[in-house]
Amino acid sequence: MNWTVQPIQNAIALCRGDRGLLADWIDAARKGSIRCCLLLITLGCAAYGFTVGLRNGWEMGAYVAIKLPLILLITLLLNGLLNGLLGLVLGSGIGVQKSLQFLLVGVAIMAVILGALSPISFFATLNTPSSGDGSGRYAWHGASLLMHTLLIAFAGIVAHARLLQYIRDFADSSRAGTFAFFAWLAGNLFVGAQVSWNLRPFFVSPGLKVEFLRPDPFNGNFYEAVWVAIKNIT
Amino acid sequence: MTMNTSKPNPGNYRGNRDDEYVPLEGGTSFSNLIGKLLRKPLSIFHELETGNLSWQIHGVLILVAVVCLSVFGFVVGTFSWGSQLWSAPLKIVSGLIFSALICLPSLYIFTCIGGLEARFSSVVGMLCSIVALSSLLLVGFAPVVWLFSVSSTSTVFIGFMLLTLWMICVGFGFTLIFRAGKAMGMTNTGHLLVWCMIFLLVTVQMTTSLRPIVGESDSLFNFGEKKFFLQYWSEQLQQATD
Repeated sequence: MNWTVQPIQNAIALCRGDRGLLADWIDAARKGSIRCCLLLITLGCAAYGFTVGLRNGWEMGAYVAIKLPLILLITLLLNGLLNGLLGLVLGSGIGVQKSLQFLLVGVAIMAVILGALSPISFFATLNTPSSGDGSGRYAWHGASLLMHTLLIAFAGIVAHARLLQYIRDFADSSRAGTFAFFAWLAGNLFVGAQVSWNLRPFFVSPGLKVEFLRPDPFNGNFYEAVWVAIKNIT
Repeated sequence: MTMNTSKPNPGNYRGNRDDEYVPLEGGTSFSNLIGKLLRKPLSIFHELETGNLSWQIHGVLILVAVVCLSVFGFVVGTFSWGSQLWSAPLKIVSGLIFSALICLPSLYIFTCIGGLEARFSSVVGMLCSIVALSSLLLVGFAPVVWLFSVSSTSTVFIGFMLLTLWMICVGFGFTLIFRAGKAMGMTNTGHLLVWCMIFLLVTVQMTTSLRPIVGESDSLFNFGEKKFFLQYWSEQLQQATD
């Protein structure tokens, strides 16, 4: 089977939980498998990202289509070494290269799910008033934010649940595989939140202008912003 | 290593991890010891206890720690740049080595009380392993620290994040010496737990003694003003939240 020309069949096989395919990818460390994952991540996340940004116009749609896959890939890159070291130290026997392959597969499954949801997201966006319209713009902005957060969280949970099964099978012991998986997940969530903060805006709050990056993308961090928001509430 | 494609059968690849107390293979080279530290750490303790290469192993483990901590310290220094680029790695390396040295006698005594009949060089090796493994994991965190150091403006946030990362990394080191202690015949690990708490307290206090490791300062050290780390950190937190 030519892995590079059959990304759709591979995507379906991954979603069905074809362990033979994954075993082949991980054990043989095929270059084609990494390319296939990157292709799925780019296409799936770009399609969904476009529908996220579309509410603020075509330009923002294009920006988010570029940035959404970038968040995931930069996070994997920054955490690559750490994930491998944690995998080994926790006794899963999964090193740097294989942990990266596993996580690429997990993110690819998530991207496939998001890509599949993008027509629904597109339809929802078309039925949502644009961000500049009327007095209810804050309510619509909030609704849009909530919908996308729920859809992305759903895709993430489903993909990672599938990935957990793979890792448990592959690791030296099921327990070690579970530990490694949750360590990776915690690290990726921690760093991913910050990367998405650096690459903001995605949803463009009412009143703010459309732009690829904020003028000060490296000024402040996600957790400080959360802390300030909590202080403002209390 | 292959994946089980039919029915999952966990644990059929390597068995119990504590069965790894086997002779060290592949010599004491830098890369081999890093690999063994991550994959089969108990084989290092077997070599320390039975082999003749113990001082070589100590040397390589210390070298691993110094190199890794220097890299990590440099990344920490990028938060403030300037003189912190060299003073942060210097303080982190020297602080951790000094902490390890002053905790070595108590580790030896506590392991003896715990029923371990090990050579002194094996106990030195235990300490070197903790420091080397923690340092290795800290290097894994270096890209994460870099991301936050270029993004964050809060010294307190970076400081608490670094403390949390240190506790995670040294936690893996502690787990390792508990496994090693049990594999080498330790009967009571309660004393070792007390020693771990002491070592953690010493290293955390060291961050206050050698302040500032994060952020700018006119002087390299601030030995004149003595503070307990809890008091120092609560003051910093108070200033940040006011």
